[in-house]
Amino acid sequence: MPSFLENIKTLRDTPGLGSVGARLYGTFSSLYTSIYLLGVTAFFYAVGTIIAQGVTMDEYLKAGGKYVFLVRAFSLLDIFSSPLFLIAALFLFLNLAVCVYDRFTPALLASASPRQDFTPAFSIGLTQNLPEAEAEARRVLREDLGFRYAQSESGPEEERWVVMEKGRLPYRLITWLYHLGIIVCLIGFLLTYLFAYEDIVTLQPGKHKTVTPSTDGRIQSLWRRKPPESKFSLLLEEFTSEYSHSPRLDYPRDKLGRLAVGLGWMKPVYEIRETSYFPKGWKSRLKVIKDNRTTVEKTIRVNDPLKYGGYTFYQSGYEQTIKVRVDGSPIPLEAKAASPLIVPGLDAPLEFSGIKTGTLFRLDGTIEKITPVTFVRQASEATEGKRKDDDGVRLPVGSTVVIDGRMITFADFTEATVLSYRFDPGFPLIWWSGIFVLAMMCLRFYGRWYLLAFKTGEADGITFIDIHVSANGLLADRERLVKGFMRGLTRNDIRPLELPRL
Amino acid sequence: MPGYDTILSRDSYILFFELRLFWLVTLLYGVSLIVHIFHIVSLNTSCGRTAHRVLSLAALLHIGLIILRTFEAGRAPFQTLYESLSWFACSVALTYLYASSDWKDINLPGFFVSALSLGASLYALLSRSPAIEPPSPPLQSYWFEWHAALAFFSYAVFAVSSAIEASCLIAAAMLRKSGDRTYGISPGLMEGLRQRAYRLAAFGFPLLTFAIFSGTAWADDAWGMYWSWDPKETWSLITWTVFTIYLHSRSIPALKGLPASVFNIIGFVCMMMTFLGVNWLAKLLGIPSLHIYAV
Repeated sequence: MPSFLENIKTLRDTPGLGSVGARLYGTFSSLYTSIYLLGVTAFFYAVGTIIAQGVTMDEYLKAGGKYVFLVRAFSLLDIFSSPLFLIAALFLFLNLAVCVYDRFTPALLASASPRQDFTPAFSIGLTQNLPEAEAEARRVLREDLGFRYAQSESGPEEERWVVMEKGRLPYRLITWLYHLGIIVCLIGFLLTYLFAYEDIVTLQPGKHKTVTPSTDGRIQSLWRRKPPESKFSLLLEEFTSEYSHSPRLDYPRDKLGRLAVGLGWMKPVYEIRETSYFPKGWKSRLKVIKDNRTTVEKTIRVNDPLKYGGYTFYQSGYEQTIKVRVDGSPIPLEAKAASPLIVPGLDAPLEFSGIKTGTLFRLDGTIEKITPVTFVRQASEATEGKRKDDDGVRLPVGSTVVIDGRMITFADFTEATVLSYRFDPGFPLIWWSGIFVLAMMCLRFYGRWYLLAFKTGEADGITFIDIHVSANGLLADRERLVKGFMRGLTRNDIRPLELPRL
Repeated sequence: MPGYDTILSRDSYILFFELRLFWLVTLLYGVSLIVHIFHIVSLNTSCGRTAHRVLSLAALLHIGLIILRTFEAGRAPFQTLYESLSWFACSVALTYLYASSDWKDINLPGFFVSALSLGASLYALLSRSPAIEPPSPPLQSYWFEWHAALAFFSYAVFAVSSAIEASCLIAAAMLRKSGDRTYGISPGLMEGLRQRAYRLAAFGFPLLTFAIFSGTAWADDAWGMYWSWDPKETWSLITWTVFTIYLHSRSIPALKGLPASVFNIIGFVCMMMTFLGVNWLAKLLGIPSLHIYAV
């Protein structure tokens, strides 16, 4: 019965729909197609780095963007969701899938197709008789060098090659496996593209809040307006910040100055100011409340998220609200850091810097609690957007400063944590298939696999052995293998009469 | 624990020593490059050997510099662009010295390698700050060392692979004009050298794959999104794709020669874009990138 591939070949030469299908199959199973499609997707990737992604057309035009017609026609502002890119990605996926299918044969499990048409790389003469030489060669390969038989022996004995192999897994199978793993990775990406969504949630200390996303996945938005509210709520118990007291380097900015340092004419100097605070970390101590009881407690920080209820919650940022009393008034005004606060009676709004609070790790190893402090100044056009953290008058919590005759007291503050959260069913698939792909790739590229075929014979009363060696993998060393084989043969008094020619 | 003044003085002095050592290493890379140029112009074999020796000395001192930086910073030395450039320069030189250890009088690739190492070192010294800063919160991850180390090491390996391919192209062009050997590269040796370039790219490819994979895992932990088409992420994917094309083309007889060499060199250009070009591109075009913090 003809095989599938033979059917394909027959179909290709037959006019009609079958031949079109067969030709398509042939095209998609070709390495040339892979190269073309990889090139096309690389082109799309490059375009996506030249044109800002995710911005609106107005923002693009405001930034001086050109070729509006092309940008609009090809959706270049969101190229990775554009029809052209998706079609290219689909073709690449099909190409990969057809190649994986096309190259799957039971022979994958064997290291090589059964064959007898080897070309000897070299021949050596042996002192033993034919049966002893063959037996010894088999013994050396199996016992000394760890080879195993790659195929069953058939055919006339005098023309028969003995084929042996060495390597953990047949390299073709490994190659096939990691291509299959890449297909699974691409399916994971597709799941992300179709189903993932994300949002942010801001938690005030001591207050419960459920998770209510305002966006939805592409597929889910076909049948619902937005995801349902979560059946659990999050409670922020405490938000803390940590800082390092980090010195700054006094170092020339100009090239000649830096050369002078290299020549030893100038020295770089580390200096430290009292306000040289470098963010070390932000931590949110969270509780997950479900059915009025705490199910999970965790302190999250950057690089250490919380996974619960299908969502992953990440430490994204924080919000500080400053409470300020003016002239001792009982009702404080509230201001966000770096946002202007209009105070009646003052010519210009006030600006407060972010509050430094939490724990400070000093250079000498000591640790201290930071007295919450902010810096206040009057905002003006000249300083708009150019604020440094310690610009202005230093104002610790509870203290007062007089600005334009008004007493400004830093009364209190609150810190809320800002968490981003994401629902992504594709990531676990990508994670596990990625590990699989990496493992197989490392085995394939870094491992070593050998195929050694030999045939013994006799000519003019001299026993000889023809040897063919092929190797794959970066750590494979044909010469070392052949030397080892020779050493094994000569150890038992089989003296080669000729040197091997490789 | 010593006081602030002692700590600051100590750290300033160590940095001062480190910078002078780095300038010495850079000078040696520069001398190696100049001698390589003499070798290219004069076809003098002993010039080539001398250039190789100077490069070896520079690489050896550079290893000491990397070790010093590691102890000085108390962490792996590839957090800032200054450190990454230094690591890259050292890795390129060391990879080349290893790859060329069994060559006899083939020194043309050394020209490219010494130029790369010199360029990277000069850029670090003249344009980047050598200050040691504590890692920012996103960098405090067990993925950081693996991702950075293997990414930059893969760049170095690809750079040497491309240097060999470029040398083969130059030698092939010169041999077509006249002669049976140029810069120690005969027609018979050409395929062996291309095979060496291929093996280097094959060695670097899983490293780059792991670097991309670890980057996505780290991004998922830190930013909540494993892939955001950030320019640096995208250019690393472009580099990976181009080297995939190169590796596949090596198994197609019609593409195995010149086309494969061209793909390899394009891959090198993409790798340089990933490493350095994307920072300039993002700033030039005003495209936000989460990786700009490392500049």
